[in-house]
This record gives sequence, structure tokens and C-alpha cells, in this order.
Amino acid sequence: MSATTSTGTTDTARDRAPRSSRLAAVTGFALLDLRRRLRSRVEMFFIVGLPAFFYLVFGFGDDERVGSGNVAMYVMISMAAYGAVTATTSVAGSAVLERTLGWGRQLALTPMRPLTFVAVKTVIAMAIAAVPIALIFVIGAFTGARGETSDWILAALIVWLGSSLFAIYGLAVILVFRSENAVGIASGLIVIMAFLGNVFTPMSGLILDIGRLTPLYGYAALARYPLTDGWTASGSHDPLWLPLANVAAWAVIFTVLAVWGMRRGQERV
Amino acid sequence: MSRTPAIHATGLRKQFRATDGSEVVAVDDVDLTVQPGEIVAFLGPNGAGKTTTVDMLLGLTTPSGGTVEVYGEAPGRAVATGRVSAVMQTGGLLNDFTVLETVQAIAHLHGRRDRVDDAIERAGLAPIAKRRVQACSGGEQQRLKFALALVPDPDLIILDEPTTGMDVSTRQSFWETMRADAAEGRTIVFATHYLAEADEFAERTILMKSGRIVQDGRTADVRAAFGGRTVSFQPPAEFVHADGIDPDWLARVSAALEPLGISDVEVSSASLEAAFLALTAADTHELEGADR
Repeated sequence: MSATTSTGTTDTARDRAPRSSRLAAVTGFALLDLRRRLRSRVEMFFIVGLPAFFYLVFGFGDDERVGSGNVAMYVMISMAAYGAVTATTSVAGSAVLERTLGWGRQLALTPMRPLTFVAVKTVIAMAIAAVPIALIFVIGAFTGARGETSDWILAALIVWLGSSLFAIYGLAVILVFRSENAVGIASGLIVIMAFLGNVFTPMSGLILDIGRLTPLYGYAALARYPLTDGWTASGSHDPLWLPLANVAAWAVIFTVLAVWGMRRGQERV
Repeated sequence: MSRTPAIHATGLRKQFRATDGSEVVAVDDVDLTVQPGEIVAFLGPNGAGKTTTVDMLLGLTTPSGGTVEVYGEAPGRAVATGRVSAVMQTGGLLNDFTVLETVQAIAHLHGRRDRVDDAIERAGLAPIAKRRVQACSGGEQQRLKFALALVPDPDLIILDEPTTGMDVSTRQSFWETMRADAAEGRTIVFATHYLAEADEFAERTILMKSGRIVQDGRTADVRAAFGGRTVSFQPPAEFVHADGIDPDWLARVSAALEPLGISDVEVSSASLEAAFLALTAADTHELEGADR
């Protein structure tokens, strides 16, 4: 894309210095925006501090065997997933709020296109999601989480990439509710979904059967699959298609909700 | 030499569908040409269509009809190249950025990081550059939006109610900055509902009402048509009682004035200023008649 803008064809005398390149422009903006998010202490507590604390409480040093590793590893993956989805939910949700609260109009007076804004926020969401994953995996590595090397790599990748599903979830909740409290609602629901999704405490029986249908179950089970091969703590077994189907179904549901919320918002003009 | 107008709009029209399904015409058949270097005020009450017009000039709203060009280009294009920028009434800021970061973020997007210091300086924000937006007063946030508008070094700057939330002295220094900018050749278009701001600052005033332009001309001429002249006089003391002016006498005044073409005689209670002057000068009441 052309980096400079020609202004020489017009008859005004005011001249302009050449602009820096489009990529440098967007990168500079994205870095400032990323730094703004990272220094929000409250947000970072819920994204990084709380999941790390939960790992230390529930998983620290627990060497009981699970699949190809131990319980510490199992809890570590779960908590990294919890932190990562909190991050993507909150970044995606606030991005919608920023646009509706007038900052979007300010950005509309710059050369940045709306699609570039979406790309910037996606990169920021994934960057922030990587923080709890990296930190909790490092803590795990030093506090007795054990598993095959492939378990570590695959789990980290699945947790990280899968968390993007919850960026769609964040978008959907804010677009449907459209209030400043909506980000809080979205994050709060994550906690409930984490319990139902077998992320915090191992469940069994009827609750587990219901939980299998909730949005965080498939994602967390998939992230632990390299470690557990599908065996749950209560001794039941999930074939690989089950968590995959769960993720696919919720991806469709969240997308439909987000599109519906967006359409509804436009009609209200 | 024919110059490309800063703004050229013909038959500009915008209608919305209200929540009850009825059509609302916010801007109705507006023709407008602004030459480079002009200072133009859009004056009108709330709901006159000023903000909708501004949105169309900035490419933020698509007109329902008519054409609009900014420096011969589509508005969105002129915005993207930084030829036009604006202080919008509905623009918003991020609370957790500092003042400096906000300007830097927008400067990055314009590819004009070299303009950060100048914009901060001109908007008088240097002393509070490190402050969080959250901690800024309404007037300071308004100045920050002004700094953002200065970032692309635009040829045309559009200001929608720019002095909202500013105190008197800030307001004054804001207009001084604008005057200096205008002297350098920047075209300035601002919307306001303060007659005084248009009067003091604009060479040309466009009066809008219910989406239409009802007056467009030299500010002094528009003022004469809009404001008229007010003649006031004092009633004789014997007709003035503690609870107001003797109604019979007032009726006689109205009857006496009617043959002169004067209508709408009204009695206004004195303004605080007038009361102060009256109390410190003479012990009389005042009757005002306006010849609209």
C-alpha cells in the first residue's frame, strides 16, 4: 500500500511533511493501545493474577498421575485457559464499547479503516491472552507440572488459539446487551461457564453431562486432550469429536448472536 | 484563477427513520459553498441540523440526497488525507490513556508523529500532558479533542460546539488560538448555539432552522435580521407598584404604540446586571419593548 499521500495537486500553499508508512502507523497505535491494556491493574488481576493464584492453590506440586503427566499439569492447562479466555473476552468486549462510546468516531477521522481496527484489536487480544498462558506455564514448569514435551507445546497452542473463540463470545455479549456493564457481565459469566465447563473443579455424573454442553467444556477438554487422551477426572472418556463438536457449535452460536446484535444496533439509528 | 472551494454542497439532504417508523428530515436541501480561508459560523438552536450537516461534511454520515465535496474530493477521502479534521460534539476519548498518549495514538494513525508537540502546545495541554484523561475536566477534554483535530495539520477544521465545558478564560484563549490559525490561512467552520461566539469570531454566519438554511451572509447582516434592535424605556414612577406595572397603564401604552407598527410589547423583569445597575443608580423600574 502506498505510504505517502500526495497533496501537491491542490492550490493551497500549506504543505505537509511526508507521512510515515501505513504499517508503522498502525503498529505504533497498536503498541500504545496494548500498553494501555497491560497497565490496567484490575484487568490484569483477573486475567493473570487470579488464574495463577488458582493454579498455585489447586495444582501446585500435585504429582498424582493424569494421562501422560500429573495433576499439576492438568490444573496448569485449565487455569491458563481460564486466564486466556478472560483476556480475549475483555479485549473484544471493550473494543466494541470504545467504538460506541465516541472513540470510534475519533478514529473515523483518521486514515485507519474499520477492518484495520478489528485486526489491531485481534492482535492485542491474542497478545494479552498469551500473558497468562506464558506466566502460568512457566510457574508450572518450576513447580512440578509434568508431561511429555508434545503435551506442553500442543496444550499451549490450543489454549492460545482456542481463546479466540471467546473474543467472538465477548463481541456477542456486548453487541446484544450494549451497555457499559456488559463487559463485566461477560467476564462474570466466564466464571460460571468455567465451573460448568469442568475447568475449576473436577465434576461427575449429571452435572458433568450438562457441563459437556457448555462453551468452556470443549475448549478446555481439547487443550488437555494431549495430556489426558480424553479421560476425565471421574473416569469417563470423551472421544475427540465431542470437544471438537462443542467448540464448533459454540463458534456458530456466538457468531450468530454477534451478527444479530450488530444488525439490531444498526436498526436503532 | 478559479480556486477549489473548501466545501461545496448542493441539495444536501438527510432523513432518518425514527423509532416509531416515521421519517425525520434532519437536513433539508442545503446548498453551501465555503471558500478557502473563510471563517464561517453555523448558528441555530439544538436540533436545527448542524451536527448532521457536520457529519456529512466529514463523511461520517452518508447523505440521503445531494452532493458534497471537500476540496473537490469525497469527504471521507479528504478526512483520510488529513485535509479536513474536526472537533466533534459526539467524539469520545479513552479514560485510561494520558493526554499525551491520546495525541500520540491519533498522530501515529495519521503518520504524523512530528505533529504531537505542536498540537499539545497549541491546545495549551503541555502542563497536563501526563494526566489521565479520566482526571481531566470537561474543558480540558474539549481542548484535547481540539489537539487531536490539529494533529493532521488540516486545511479545513470543523468545530461542533467547540467550547462546551470551557470556562470563560479558556474559551477566550481557545478563540485566540483559532484566530491565529485563521490568519495562517486555515479554513474554519464552526457550529454553535451561542450568538455571541458567531458574532465575535465569524465573518460569515449561516443560520439554520429545522434542517434548512434560513440566512447566509455577513455576520453583521445576519445579526441585524436575527436579533433586531431593542428599545427600552422607563415608565413613570407613579404607575410602578411593588408587584409590577399598572396593567391599565400598560394597555394604554400598547394602544398608543400600535399605530407606529410596534407589536409584542412585553415587560421583562430586570436581568441581574440591569438590577445591579438600577439599584446602584436610580430607584426606578424598566419596561422593555422589542421591535422584532
